Amino acid sequence: MLSLKKSCALGAAAIVLAGAAGFALAQDKEAILKDRQATMKEQGKDLQNVKAYLDGKGDLAQAKEGATNLTKTTNKIPALFPPGTGGPNPSGDYVAKPVIWSDWDKFLEAQRAAATKANALVVAVNGGDRAAIEAAFGDLGKNGCGGCHTTFREKIEK
Amino acid sequence: MTGGPSRSKSARIYSLITTFSWALGGAVVAAALALMGTAAAAPPANTVTRGAYLAAAAGCDQCHTDSKNAGRAYAGGRTLETSLGTVVSPNITPDPDTGIGRWQFADFARALRWGIAPDDTHYLQAFPFPFYNHLTDADVADLKAFLETVSPISQANHADGASLLPAARARAAIAVVDQRFRGPLVSDPSRDATWNRGAYLVATVGRCGDCHTPRNFFGTPDPGRLFAGSSAGPGGKHVPNITPDPATGIGQWSEEDIVNLLKDGQTPEFDFVGGAMAEIVHNTSRLDAADRHAIAVYLKSLPPIRSEKKGR
Repeated sequence: MLSLKKSCALGAAAIVLAGAAGFALAQDKEAILKDRQATMKEQGKDLQNVKAYLDGKGDLAQAKEGATNLTKTTNKIPALFPPGTGGPNPSGDYVAKPVIWSDWDKFLEAQRAAATKANALVVAVNGGDRAAIEAAFGDLGKNGCGGCHTTFREKIEK
Repeated sequence: MTGGPSRSKSARIYSLITTFSWALGGAVVAAALALMGTAAAAPPANTVTRGAYLAAAAGCDQCHTDSKNAGRAYAGGRTLETSLGTVVSPNITPDPDTGIGRWQFADFARALRWGIAPDDTHYLQAFPFPFYNHLTDADVADLKAFLETVSPISQANHADGASLLPAARARAAIAVVDQRFRGPLVSDPSRDATWNRGAYLVATVGRCGDCHTPRNFFGTPDPGRLFAGSSAGPGGKHVPNITPDPATGIGQWSEEDIVNLLKDGQTPEFDFVGGAMAEIVHNTSRLDAADRHAIAVYLKSLPPIRSEKKGR
């Protein structure tokens, strides 16, 4: 059996540890949110490179690079949403909805759909057919990005 | 409006409107009969094609299909949470018993234009009939012709949710008399065909004002703040100002930016919209490029209205 003194010391240590863990978690959340926002912006840039080609304002090499990046970043999405990273987001306009974690399988399904559409965009860009690229771009944007943004993202009312 | 119309006054206006709508229905039937006189018994294929295009643009299938539960197209059953209560969309396939297969043209036109069912009950404005009021006779006929070609599905309609109070229906009925129903949109001869086409699409199947214009107590859009955004959109969310005000609206968007949003849901910042607008984008992405361009031209021409906050 532990002495009173010993258990008090253990208790205090536990409180300190829990506090430190909480602090670390808060730090983590901030870092995660930053990484998440940066990744989404990066995806926007990559899509912009594909769109620029479609609009005759950019070259095919850049479109290829953008599409290839998107196949990587769409697969990074689950890692950007660890549990406990929903809720308040002081630096952004949107929050991740709790349904992401209450129905993680559905979230993964949507993420995989986006990743599949990104792969299809690479195939289309490599094929070089403008109409096919346009269709794949629209499908990824509207149903891939837009699909997730409908079910799993919410605007912060300011 | 101060206080709302008195009971006797609203009852009088109501009966007037009902009479008027019947007269209109009669006129539509006469027009349809005249049309049928010149055409063969079966509607021409291009009528159905045009109707299908309009139905896709309006997104009839989106509300009238219970996609989440693998429901059949146009057979209804989708639950819609609205500010007026929970509504379950009805079956609009041509099934004679559970759908609209027995509806005459006048029934269809009255439901679409006035939100009044053949049994004289009022639909809630979850069904955007105030916008379909502005459809041309030809477009209403085309929509009906298309819906007659949809697979008939026998699926009984569900009752609306329990949260739906009779007061909500009463409000819906008052909105019918409170709103200015001008019938088919009249072209503005001082504007070109593109502008007029854009105005027509926005006023009818696009129904942008449904969410982007604030409403009064009876659910009537505020005519002084058309398209200036609303603080009480779907799900109680703020809806952006889409007038060309540079600071609070979309004045800094080019026509191309608007077209991109309507086509793929893509904003100028390369974000992709979600929520209620994503559903609208599914409709506008089914328009042809010329129609999306027409909407952009029209929206850019609107008088800019400043809103309280950016985007609202």
